Amino acid sequence: MRSVPSAPLVGPFADRLLALDLPELDRPRRAEVVAFAARRVDGLPSIMRIGVLIIATLFRVALLVPGSSAFVRFVARTPLPLFGEYVRLIRSLGYAYVWETWPGTQPTGAAT
Amino acid sequence: MAGDAADGRRYVSGLLDAAAIAAGDALDAEVVVVGSGAGGAVTAALLAEAGFDVLIVEEGPWVEQESVRPFSLEQMDWQYRAGGVTVALGLPSIAYTEGRCAGGGTEVNSGLYFRPPVDLIDRWTTDYQIKDLDPDEIAGIADEVEQALDVGKVPGRKTPGSEILRRGAAALGWRHSEIPRWMTYPPGGDAVTGKRQSMTRTYLPRAFAAGARMVVDCRVDKLTVGKGVATGLSVRYSDGTRSEIRCRHAIVCGGAIQTPALLQRSGVRGRIGRSLAVHPTVKLSGRFAGEVNVPDDVPVHQVKEFAPDLSFGGSASHPGLVALALSDHWAEFSRAITEWRRICIYYAAITSEGRGVVQAVPGLRDPLVTYRLTHRDRETLRSGLARLALLMLEAGADEVYPSFRGAPVVRNRRDLATMQQSFAASKASVMTVHLCSTVPMGEALDRCGADSFGRVHGTSNVWVNDASLLPSAPGVNPQATVMAFAIRNVRRFIETNGRGDA
Amino acid sequence: MPERWSTPETTVVTGAAGWLGQALMHRLRADPARARLRVLVHDASETAVFDNAENVNVIVGDIADRAVVDALFDGVGADADVIHTAGVIHPKRVSDFFDVNTTGTKHIVSAARAAGVRRLVHVSSNSPFGTNASATDVFRNDEPYNPYYGYGQSKMEAEQAVFAAVAGEDGGAALDAVVVRPPWFYGPFQPPRQTTFFRMVRKGKFPVIAGGHQRRSMVYVDNLVDGLLLAELTPRARGNGYWIADARPYQVTEIVETVGRALRDEGFSVKVGALRLPAIAGRVAEVGDKLIQRTGRYQQQLHVLGEMDKTIACDISAARRDLRYEPQVELYEGMRRSIRWCVEQGLEL
Repeated sequence: MRSVPSAPLVGPFADRLLALDLPELDRPRRAEVVAFAARRVDGLPSIMRIGVLIIATLFRVALLVPGSSAFVRFVARTPLPLFGEYVRLIRSLGYAYVWETWPGTQPTGAAT
Repeated sequence: MAGDAADGRRYVSGLLDAAAIAAGDALDAEVVVVGSGAGGAVTAALLAEAGFDVLIVEEGPWVEQESVRPFSLEQMDWQYRAGGVTVALGLPSIAYTEGRCAGGGTEVNSGLYFRPPVDLIDRWTTDYQIKDLDPDEIAGIADEVEQALDVGKVPGRKTPGSEILRRGAAALGWRHSEIPRWMTYPPGGDAVTGKRQSMTRTYLPRAFAAGARMVVDCRVDKLTVGKGVATGLSVRYSDGTRSEIRCRHAIVCGGAIQTPALLQRSGVRGRIGRSLAVHPTVKLSGRFAGEVNVPDDVPVHQVKEFAPDLSFGGSASHPGLVALALSDHWAEFSRAITEWRRICIYYAAITSEGRGVVQAVPGLRDPLVTYRLTHRDRETLRSGLARLALLMLEAGADEVYPSFRGAPVVRNRRDLATMQQSFAASKASVMTVHLCSTVPMGEALDRCGADSFGRVHGTSNVWVNDASLLPSAPGVNPQATVMAFAIRNVRRFIETNGRGDA
Repeated sequence: MPERWSTPETTVVTGAAGWLGQALMHRLRADPARARLRVLVHDASETAVFDNAENVNVIVGDIADRAVVDALFDGVGADADVIHTAGVIHPKRVSDFFDVNTTGTKHIVSAARAAGVRRLVHVSSNSPFGTNASATDVFRNDEPYNPYYGYGQSKMEAEQAVFAAVAGEDGGAALDAVVVRPPWFYGPFQPPRQTTFFRMVRKGKFPVIAGGHQRRSMVYVDNLVDGLLLAELTPRARGNGYWIADARPYQVTEIVETVGRALRDEGFSVKVGALRLPAIAGRVAEVGDKLIQRTGRYQQQLHVLGEMDKTIACDISAARRDLRYEPQVELYEGMRRSIRWCVEQGLEL
């Protein structure tokens, strides 16, 4: 199980979520943040990792379907049980990374 | 100093370089200590000084104190388990942190020192039937620990973050005090110039000086136990090679999560992993008129008016952590992030009625951890966070951002009503940094996993000597209590097992 | 600053015919130094209580009506203290809370400022602070608001109006005011509905929820009057709020046992026991209470039952320290006096 890299499953959703939350965060930075989040997911404890990857897979599939933007907007705004925890995890990792690495970042993601 | 040992293995001041250990080489020792945190380091040092042949097996790496920035993501990468993302599942889930490095949690915690609470020692003795637990002896050991770790208050100025807590508590007439830390200061030093007296700086060097050896980056998969006797440990090095370490005694000091998990993986049965106790905390951020944020500092003041149920203190507040604290209601709070220099994060911690479970799962590396909060716990979290918010207002905060989903910005006392009415523990980011009680010590077999001195019930040579032994979460930073009990237990071990082979 | 002021020329009392109001009036009328009393009652029927005493001017009317409050303050000036006890605890409709407790208080505050009175003592409650998180928690003197439903909300808003006036927030003259917060009170002058309490204990049917370890602070009405008068006459109390209660909170089981003992010692037969209900009963009652109040209606028994599983406990050290308040009567003695008063009034227990 640990051999399954999370980046392909987690990356695309993380990218879309951060693009929505922090629209002015430039692409290279966003990519760096997404890579960090995937690295952390790789290091999660066993059961958490299994659970997260299952949800990540479902979300990944949802992104392939038409209407995916509406899907991302919906999960970003709505506090869902269980699935909401995945969104919160990605967000927490993302925001912590952004503001630790680039402390002057604006709330929209724009560099100072 | 680097050198070659007589048996050909390279070592660095007692620190064995795991990569240099040839595959298939088995190590052996009279006593193997698993884990090198507050329990393990102290255990190893005292046993080595008494002449025992000690090998410390540490899962994490050796990281020098100043080589990473405190509370940074990089530190979490190197010195925390799972990069700091470990969670006890429940409604709500409780995020926790575990040190995973030489020195364990002592390398990454706030350094705050609390003497073991006397009334708690009495209560534990009664409720868990702990033999020969003498509060005076514990007090004497605490004195020794204070010496060894240079425990003291901040000379000179405290940071604004500390001052805020003091000011707010004083305005409300709530009992508060400055908590001493284990730090040394340069002449004329102040709050931010202290050097942490963690285990890598204190008890581990002592252990090496007395002849103890240590392997790092080495995980113990299980103890080999038959009929209550441990004969060795199955370990795995960072390059994947496996090996067996033989021992006469195994002392497990992996912390309240890893210790019970290891015992369970090793087939040890009993009251192990069932009664996890933590200090659930919720937090908020306060914004003030001036620049109060000192990123690497943790405030030294705590408010103990409502102890033991509730206590308030300050948290590390560098900008990444401020963003995290604001993220619970980002839509309302995000504008504050640009003013992170005016913001400090504070927490309200409770002693919980509810308990949790640690359960190793066959085939998986990490155990399942769950936790339950009772109604009283949730109510105490709510009222604690509101009291803390009131303190912020009294300390001069112009805005307070409570970290729960949908929280209002609090600017005045009326907003406190809105805050309390919209709070639910399930909406909050509940976390804990203190974990205890998964192998409680004592003779009451219906609730204790180890005896009054840490020997695991049902075994003759498997011991526990870390926070898992404390029967409940003490309501204060537990490191001092862990160390005092560990020292007491080691002394008894030395008495009953005689001097080790030279 | 003197330790104590002397009694004022005029004392204005609202809610003078209420439970607390009557206990207060009883004390004020016995004090010859209280030259003039101007009091507000709600109904004309309530004036009988004052036996046409010469130094008592009675104004009749609804406190929510500004004209009535203006009439009350007619001729009142700087040599007056105001003790505002009027309020509704168990209304017919939820809106009564806000009319009387909030709007009424705002009128009083405004009129008091205009008249330039020496001090306003405002009687608040524990309700703006909700209930304690656990049976071991105790409210300190300064706590965050967490109003318990309609009553709590109305009393919180009343307190805020008082404190805003103390701070001179709208640029007007600052008001010298003290807020007194009593918990559940008991004692003589209680309204007839309170006899249900004694009857339930006699029948062994008082509801004890979830073991009864919850603690409730209570205040014997004369202790409360002591506290009010100290709050009125202690200069340094200005701008503060104080809990005024008996010396310590009582466990619910202790309350039932003590009241039973007091009844027996006053010659009544008492069936031992209580209506033991599981914790869920309290929660169901509370939810029912909340839902009914949301519709604007109010059901007293449900409200009281919904509160019975809660701890409401407060710490009186600030009142002891600043006002030198000392409760003179405790539960057993207070209940005996209460029972005797009921008997004297011909009430059935």
